[in-house]
Amino acid sequence: MKTVLHFAICILTMCILCGCGQSYCWHQSHPNYKKAPTDSIAVTGLGDAFVVTRSSWFAKKLDISKDSIQTFTSHFCSKAFLDQLQKSYKAVTVIPDAAFSHFPEESQKLDTRIFMKGRLPEQGIVVKDSAGNVPAYILIIHEFTLGTDLQRENFYDYALIHNEAPEKKTSKNLSAIVSYTLWDNMKQRPLYSAVNQVDQPNVKLTLADINKIVVSSVQQITQSLAAGVQ
Amino acid sequence: MKRIVLALLIFVCSVFADNVFFHNHWTLWKDADVLIWSADKTPALDPKEFCLSLKRNNTGIGEPKCRLFGEWERDSIAMRYAGWLIANMDKGIKAEYLRARHPAMVAKIESVEDKLILFIGERDGQIYAATFDENAAEPVAAGVFESTGDKIALGDKIADAFFDGTTKRRLTKEERAKKMTEPDESYKEIPGFQGWAGVAVGYSQAKIPLTPNNWYSSHINSRVRNYRITKDSVSLWNFIDDSDPQVALYVGGTWYGFIGAELMYRYSYHDVKTDPQDTIYRELDYWGFHQHEVGINVVLSRTYNLTKWFHTTPFAFIGFQYSFFVEDIGLKNDHKEHSKAYDVRIKFEDSYKGALVGIGSHFVFFDHYGLGLRAGISSRGRNIEEDPSPDAAAEPTTIGSSTIDCFVNLGLEYHFSM
Repeated sequence: MKTVLHFAICILTMCILCGCGQSYCWHQSHPNYKKAPTDSIAVTGLGDAFVVTRSSWFAKKLDISKDSIQTFTSHFCSKAFLDQLQKSYKAVTVIPDAAFSHFPEESQKLDTRIFMKGRLPEQGIVVKDSAGNVPAYILIIHEFTLGTDLQRENFYDYALIHNEAPEKKTSKNLSAIVSYTLWDNMKQRPLYSAVNQVDQPNVKLTLADINKIVVSSVQQITQSLAAGVQ
Repeated sequence: MKRIVLALLIFVCSVFADNVFFHNHWTLWKDADVLIWSADKTPALDPKEFCLSLKRNNTGIGEPKCRLFGEWERDSIAMRYAGWLIANMDKGIKAEYLRARHPAMVAKIESVEDKLILFIGERDGQIYAATFDENAAEPVAAGVFESTGDKIALGDKIADAFFDGTTKRRLTKEERAKKMTEPDESYKEIPGFQGWAGVAVGYSQAKIPLTPNNWYSSHINSRVRNYRITKDSVSLWNFIDDSDPQVALYVGGTWYGFIGAELMYRYSYHDVKTDPQDTIYRELDYWGFHQHEVGINVVLSRTYNLTKWFHTTPFAFIGFQYSFFVEDIGLKNDHKEHSKAYDVRIKFEDSYKGALVGIGSHFVFFDHYGLGLRAGISSRGRNIEEDPSPDAAAEPTTIGSSTIDCFVNLGLEYHFSM
């Protein structure tokens, strides 16, 4: 009897300990996401998605005026992103952000406490590119946050987003967090939504480092899109 | 024979051809207003015929009224959603993937009140159907049906698939307005109280089902010799019969339909297991103990309303009890003198304190009249009211300090609420 009791207590303790560890699910696939885009893809959101945290630190390291660091990195990252996307797909169409700006911002649930915000086209409305063609898949980039030692749960877990930032900011890693949705333009539904995080050891910050982390992000996105197929 | 096989084959095919994706719980109103909404130029259903199908299929539906939902068919937001819906209703899809996202569309669905919306659309030669009510921005039921061109047959199939549940009376405008202003039950300052009182008969025994016999055999088979001698005295079942009927009275209640308490009293009578080979008992006419038990239980329960007139409340309870054993002994009339052993016969403790744990369920008819079924395990042990003395180890063990039995009883109950 005593042995049984001990065993039960051990099991209970293990369950409690395991239950305390927080783990998140960072992606969500539509049950009808059967095939990832391989040849052509349209992309949107690149104009407004890029945000740099610790802009003074970045401005100092890159020797760019503090006033123009956001605009500069936004253009730089956007170009790097597009270049890498064009290497991964045969045909990449850019849909201007203006085509999406009139859609309401909505939340998508990825996990119990993980929600990502973004603009999604209306049900029943097909988005056309500037040439009037209808792309089958649109990669919508909602937010691309660049910073140092970032943790994505601090941005997307609603229980943590009001936490104050630590006093001492560290810069061991250069981090990029990107939230995006692969949109089925034909049936107007989100096929795959995710928040990815890339960390890269920060030796001495140069534009090449930023280019590298954007490239890694795009590579991770293409891998995730393929892995997310149901 | 061939005809039967063919008929069976057609029947099986027709069952598999029609496919219901999901059918969530929703309220089917009596005398329902059914609004048929379609993006097709000529809807696959005829409203009049569909009303007749509803009446044929569900006698409780009363006098339904069916019409095409022209308001939504002229509304561009609704038609956009209709077009999206028909494109996305793939086989086996879940309701959450068909949710309307446009705020104006969500508001439209929420404002239908107690009308039922039946969406019908044709795609790839098949008819897709979905129903909406006011409570969710997603369909509450959806499925696909073979398109045969026969509107009556299609109406029958849809009525059978989605509209065959029990119906509820629609509220009047005043009732609806009143209901809207009613406070939420959970926020009441005085918690809702459900009470019950009952009388039950049951049975108890020392052997707990599905446990090995050798746990109890020494207690059950034990006999009392010379008015006091047994192999051991740790359990009262060494002295008295363990398997006997019992009567119970109880009264209790739950707050918020979840947590509650119950007072109970139980009575049973146990004969002493005298050894028939012992000649000393020739003088004895009867010897037994009345067992009285009073206790209090904590009850955790949950109520399931199965029909208008019947609900069931499964519960679990845990509590403690005091047991009193009152001796009932008599000598035969022809024995004026009794033996010396009679005077020094076994005596039980004044009271025993024990615990009981178990599960059960109330089955309540018409809100008041119920049956209660419960089963559990109860124990009796020493009632320690003073510190043990330093030479406690040298003292003899308390008689019946580990007396355990299980019980089952069925009661008639009256339920009330405050």
